[in-house]
Formats: sequence, structure tokens, C-alpha cells
Amino acid sequence: MSWFGYLLMLSGWLLAAAALFLLDSVGERLLFVAAGLMVEALGLGLITYRYRSLQRGPQ
Amino acid sequence: MSLSLCLMSLLLIPFAAAGLALLQQGLGRSRSAAQTMLGSLCALATAAIVFVLVGSAWMGFAGGAAHVLHLGGRNLNWLGAEPLFAASIRGSLTAGLGRALVLAFGMFAVGLCSLIPINAGSDRWRLAAVGAATALLAAILFPLMAHWVWGGGWLAQLGPLFGPLSGLPGFTDMGGAGVIQVTGGLCALSVAWIVGPRQGKYTEGSAAAIPGHNIVQVLFGCMLALIGWIGLEAAAAMLFYSASLGQIALTVINAVLASSAGCLAAVLTTRLRYRKPDASLSANGWIAGLVAGSAGGGRLTPVEGILIALVAGMLVTFLVELLELRLLIDDPGGAISVHLGAGLWGLLAYGLFAPATAPRAELLLSQLIGIATLVGLMFPVIHISHRLLNRVIPFRVDADGDWQGMDIRELGAGAYPEFVLHADEFTPR
Repeated sequence: MSWFGYLLMLSGWLLAAAALFLLDSVGERLLFVAAGLMVEALGLGLITYRYRSLQRGPQ
Repeated sequence: MSLSLCLMSLLLIPFAAAGLALLQQGLGRSRSAAQTMLGSLCALATAAIVFVLVGSAWMGFAGGAAHVLHLGGRNLNWLGAEPLFAASIRGSLTAGLGRALVLAFGMFAVGLCSLIPINAGSDRWRLAAVGAATALLAAILFPLMAHWVWGGGWLAQLGPLFGPLSGLPGFTDMGGAGVIQVTGGLCALSVAWIVGPRQGKYTEGSAAAIPGHNIVQVLFGCMLALIGWIGLEAAAAMLFYSASLGQIALTVINAVLASSAGCLAAVLTTRLRYRKPDASLSANGWIAGLVAGSAGGGRLTPVEGILIALVAGMLVTFLVELLELRLLIDDPGGAISVHLGAGLWGLLAYGLFAPATAPRAELLLSQLIGIATLVGLMFPVIHISHRLLNRVIPFRVDADGDWQGMDIRELGAGAYPEFVLHADEFTPR
């Protein structure tokens, strides 16, 4: 699950970076970058969930 | 740039390292105090040597040699290409002076960055692993980000690369909130996850409070850190943003105001929430204010600086609780909340409050791209490299060492041999 989290985080960054290459208007770029940050947050959330499960596991 | 002022600012930076080292060993347990302090010294030593020999070549200098990636019709400057072993500063004194100053700054900055994860891994992170992780940070991870932001890399060049018509500014990090603090905070999160919580921290579904062993040292560390931070922010502003003397003066004022506001916000928040001010969280608020304020330095007005630090001081008290109680991350010194949380807030706040040299949306956009790069690109790289390193040099001490304390386990003697501070270490279990 953590590998999927890493992939999501990298995808989020690629989404943010792609906005710079593909879009011209500031509003569209902001929207794309915000979407990229949300994807990154999702990936970080997955990794967090995985570690939290590991901590709770043996108890 | 005034040479004497820049040199003086550089010479203040080690105080920040001393302050952070005192703070993190005071917030840890007494049975690991000497190992934590020695770990800090070893990290500073490893960081300085590895950075000068290897990392400085990748960090490079604005306008210096660099590796360029041709992508979509644009030339992305992504890595410095200076000679290894700091060979480029061997020339004449005048030609190499600027580079020597940047090299000295980088050496101190990477040392400071390397101390942050020690805070999160306190009481269970082995000395050998501290050295290896620091070498990795100083050789590759820190120089990469430092080049992008301070070495004329693609994040500093967002404007010319992607927005010549609309005036998109480059990602701005005046005093290292992103390059030093957030990078260090991401390393701290990675280390905290890999080493796991201390023995006895989480039992029967609840978190046990393990208070720091010397709060006086923690608070004294805060005062030392302020002196170092002033030097750090002033030196970075002069070296990378050609700050005027007026801006340097404002940088000093803002640093003092930021630490004060951050601390008072934490004091008030903990007073309201727990009925009494919490000394360790207030110390964290002090550092959080400095961290958040360092993104804007002297470009913000004092009122804006205070506002940003107030939010940082409050935020850090909630983040510490969230990490410890909800996410089950054992971070003895609150490094993740202070350096990562407040650092990200500071970078975002710069986009919201900085003087409008460009349309506000453009300023915000460039800061968000920097944040997205730190979190989305740097964190996976840091965490994956730490996990690989952990397979070669295990990060966590074994269960017996955890119980004995790192001082006895790794150094063979305690930090306070004349005092019996705890009597349960050697009893049969």
C-alpha cells in the first residue's frame, strides 16, 4: 500500500508540474496545482494509514 | 552586499545548531541524553565534510555550471555541475569569495537540516544510522533542493521558464523555511516512521506521556536558536536575494517578533486548553515562529510577521497532539510539527502576505508549486532512500537497547553517572 502512496504523491507533483507546461491562464494553473496537492495528500494519507495500521497491528 | 555583515551573519548560524541540539536532548529521556548530543555533533561533522566534498558540487551557484534538461521547449536547470571537492573556490580570493561564502552557508545550513531528524528519532535511532542518513542528506537530498531554490535551479527560474508574459515569480524561500526546515521535517517524518515509537509509548491503545528530562536546557536552546536564526536568515537574504541593509534590519526585527509571537501563541493556547502553559510546547512554538517567519524574512512587514508566527505557534500545539494521539507517530521533540508543519505554513503564508511584486495569484501559484515539489517529489525520494538505507544499516536499536537507554547501549556510560535517575533499567524482566 505504501508503494501506491508514493506513486500517488509523485503523480500529484507531476500534475502540478504539468500545469506549468500545458496551461497558460493563472486560474487554470492554480486549479491544476491544487488538484495535484490533493493527490499528494491522498498519497501521504495512504502511507500514514499503512504505518498506523502497523502500529496498531500487534495490540 | 556588505562582506563583513555577511561574514558576521554566517558566524552566528552555529548558535542555531547549538540551540536545536540542546532542545532535542532536553526533550528526550535522560538515559539517551549523551547519545543524542553526540549524534548531533556527529551529524554536524558528517554533514560539513560530505557537503563540501560532494554536495556543494550538486548545489552549485546561481549562474554557475549546471545540468540542464530540455523539456517541452524549455531548459530546466535541475542540478549543479560544479567540480567535486569544492575545487571551484580555489581560485583568486576575489573571484572565489562569493562562492566561498555560499559554500560556508551551505555547510552550516545542511548541518542544521541534519539535526532535525535526530529530534524525531531520539531515544532509539542508532548512531551509525544517524551518520549514514546524514551523509545521504548532505550528499544528495539537501543539495538537490538547495540548487532548485538557491542555485539558480528551475524553481527559482519559474518566471523566465513558464510565465514571461504574466510575470510568474520564482519560488521564494528567504531564510530556508523550505530548503532547510521542510526538508529536515520530511526526513524527521521518514525516520519516525522507520524507527517506530519508543518502547512503552503506546500501550493498550493509549499514548503514554514521556516528558523531556531537562526543560531548562530546552528553553535555553530556544534562546540560542534565535541568535543563530538571525544569522541564518540574514546570510541567506544577502547571498541569494541581494537584500539591502534595510531588509537585513527588518529580517532581524521580524525574526525576534516571530519567535516571540510563536511562543506566546503556544503559551496562550496551552493555557486555554490545559489550564497551565506547557513549557515544551511553548518552546516548540518559539521555534515554529522562527521557522514560519524564515520563509519571508525581511520582505514582510512586522505585523505580517507576527500574524504568521501566531498561527504557527497555535498550529504546532494541535499538530503535536494530532501526530502523537491520532497518527501514532512518536516524535519526542515535536520536530515534524515544528519544522515540517510550520515550514509549509510559512511558505504558503509568504504567497498570501508578501508584497505584491506580481499578481497575488501568481505569487501564490509559485509558492504552491514549491510546496508540491517538497511534499510530492522530495518526500518519496527521502523515504524510499531511508528505507533502502535501513536495510543496510538498521535504524532502530534492538529491544534491550531501547530499554537500557542509548547512552549505555551505544556509549557504555550514561550522561549523568553520579545520579540515579531511574532504577528500572537493569532489573530482570
